[in-house]
Amino acid sequence: METSAKKLIQFKNIVKSFDGQIVLKGINLDIYENEFVTLLGPSGCGKTTLLRILGGFLEPDEGNVIFDGNDITNLPPYKRDLNTVFQKYALFPHMNVYDNVAFGLKLKKEPKDIIEQKVNRMLRLINLEDFGKRGIQEMSGGQQQRVAIARALVNEPGVLLLDEPLGALDAKLRKEMQRELKKIQKEVGITFIFVTHDQEEALTMSDKIVVMKDGEIQQIGSPTDIYNEPANRYVANFIGASNIMDGIMLEDRKVVFEDKQFECVDFGFSKDERVDVVIRPEDIDIVAPGDGKLKGTVKSVLFKGVHYETVVETKNGTSITVKMNVSEDKPVINGSAGEMMSANDFYLDTEDVENLTDAFIIDHSDAQAWDPKTDERISISSVEYEIKKEKGTYPVTFKTAAGTMVTANMIVQDPNRAVDEEYGEEIYAVNFFKKADEIQESIALDTDLKIWANALAYDLETGSSVEITDVEYSFDPENIKPGEYEVTFKTRGYEYRIDTTDKAEVGTTVGLNFAPEDIHVMKKQ
Amino acid sequence: MKQFRKMTYPYVAWISVMIIVPMILILLYAITTEGNGVVNFNFTIDNFVRFFSDSIFLEVLGRSLRVALITTVLCIVLGYIPAYYIAKCSDGIKMKWVLIITFPTWINMLVRTYAWIGILQNDGIINTILGWVGIGPVDMIYTEFAVILGMVYNFIPFMILQIYTSLSKMDNSLIEAAQDLGANRFQCFWRITFPLSLPGVISGITLVFLPAVSSFCIPKLLGGGQYVLVGNVIESQFLTSGDWNFGSAISLIMAIIIMISMYITKKVDKTEIGERASA
Repeated sequence: METSAKKLIQFKNIVKSFDGQIVLKGINLDIYENEFVTLLGPSGCGKTTLLRILGGFLEPDEGNVIFDGNDITNLPPYKRDLNTVFQKYALFPHMNVYDNVAFGLKLKKEPKDIIEQKVNRMLRLINLEDFGKRGIQEMSGGQQQRVAIARALVNEPGVLLLDEPLGALDAKLRKEMQRELKKIQKEVGITFIFVTHDQEEALTMSDKIVVMKDGEIQQIGSPTDIYNEPANRYVANFIGASNIMDGIMLEDRKVVFEDKQFECVDFGFSKDERVDVVIRPEDIDIVAPGDGKLKGTVKSVLFKGVHYETVVETKNGTSITVKMNVSEDKPVINGSAGEMMSANDFYLDTEDVENLTDAFIIDHSDAQAWDPKTDERISISSVEYEIKKEKGTYPVTFKTAAGTMVTANMIVQDPNRAVDEEYGEEIYAVNFFKKADEIQESIALDTDLKIWANALAYDLETGSSVEITDVEYSFDPENIKPGEYEVTFKTRGYEYRIDTTDKAEVGTTVGLNFAPEDIHVMKKQ
Repeated sequence: MKQFRKMTYPYVAWISVMIIVPMILILLYAITTEGNGVVNFNFTIDNFVRFFSDSIFLEVLGRSLRVALITTVLCIVLGYIPAYYIAKCSDGIKMKWVLIITFPTWINMLVRTYAWIGILQNDGIINTILGWVGIGPVDMIYTEFAVILGMVYNFIPFMILQIYTSLSKMDNSLIEAAQDLGANRFQCFWRITFPLSLPGVISGITLVFLPAVSSFCIPKLLGGGQYVLVGNVIESQFLTSGDWNFGSAISLIMAIIIMISMYITKKVDKTEIGERASA
């Protein structure tokens, strides 16, 4: 930004809360003349609240808004030299296009002929010259959008505020309007403050982007600054899909991640500082396995039009393998009562023994009784067992009211866990028994296997659950035979997203290459 | 859809019997003379001629329309303010206000109107209080004032609810947009809020004007015998004089006047709201 430009708006330590929830945590921001500034962030980050405070529709709990040297914090909206383009345009439905645009000028009691000149000039600017007499409802979304812009701009405000004005338009119209807005801003030469959650929109249109999160500013900078040198992991992620790895800065221009040392161009970190490392998807090349700085397996390839979005895994996630015991369905038949009954053996933890309930046992053993003629289910009236909190096999007997009974085994074993120190993750799963037909009938086998094995993974540090992304097995679920099979559950490992025009085959081993300047090192948050 | 259409037949039958047949009967009575047989009718337009040639009836008609008009205007003016206030309240409070406003309508209209007699009569509450400060007694009961008061009191909830509904449906961002463009509160109201609430006002007018113009129990109770409106004339033709034919003719004339006035209101509504939009 040119340092000579004049500060037009200053937010000074703006704090705002709704119902005790703090939405803005002390925002300090300067906006200069003739800038196109974008407030970028996900919904709920406070960007719209900040805009509404500037528009005068909300009062901050603390702090001041300075406009052109004057404190306007408590000034009502109609006395402020700025105009807003609202999210849903808020055009007056009982007026035509001309009257909507002329609204502000009529309030200022400008002479009729001057109003007419100004409105017509504005309608020409937005390419709706011949639409003045049209009703608002007759206009398309894009046209309404432009009327809303004209209605605001005709008052020649010092600043135009735009609250997600393109949100309701379809993708193609959005692109057109982005270009048009930028053109209009250059033409009228005033400050635009634009609120959006769309990073692409922000990058295309802005002179300056303000990235916000949870009521705080994360980074302020030009689109290229923000894209190339994100201040932290959050900005890097929000501004575009990125590969972000944990790393350690050995010394200036030397960073370690994935147990390898890389040259980079960043400096100014303390020795052995833990950092986040970003490599943009388009900065990575796929090369022969031996030629790359990293090596991995192609996990997926998506065609995106101009490029392929390729995911390469360089290192497996945390994994655990369990045994699946497949048995044939062998129900007990009680001819005199006309009932059939079946139950599986099942595994459980020593920990589960403490909280054992009948429902848990019926659920895990798949115990059921039914009438073979009508196929109707019959309630199980009693569950009898004796169990100790020790490893071993304990029989359990299920009975119906008619006296049909079946016995299964509860096999108590130590919890089956695996810990991965590097990822700081723990994964957990149990062996299980299943009937062949249930595997064949499963419509979402991966999910069912996770449920049957009670597979869970969590972050050791935070205790929050981690998604199990892969379920691997070698059997053919359609034609499975009784026997013992292995099922492996895995969390996500180190994955790199690569945007490239070269197509890679899924499952092949490839090398990944990137230049030192493509590695961006960021301070940990 | 075809098979569901059959399900409407009972309703069609019901509507025919309960609405259309009585209407035809009124029409039939209006254009015939007394003493009709089942098969032979004596058609005549005497009933209409009688109404329009007698200045007393025309005077009554004029008075009815005037009273209904004053009532409607008062309901708009007095009803708009509470409706506007309620629409600005938070949701929970809104519901309480709506309940309070509809609450009187749960009690029989006659009972509520009788209560006004106690308030307005010469030894009633108001005159007693006025007596303490040395004024009065003021004649209030059995005047046009009492009749209009009774009508406004009875019909204003309909007006408030209609206006409230159209105001609460309005998008608040329109107000913000107007403020943003430089409108102060007063300008916001007259240029945005009021024009956009007109549909509610119009349907409120329909709901107030129609019962007001044909009401007979309010003028009877609060106007005494002296203050006669069209409703009372019709009532007396049916119940006192037993001249059903003339009574039906007056009803028919009222119905036509009401239809014309509704048509005009609709027309005004369209031009007010739609003139610019469709021009």
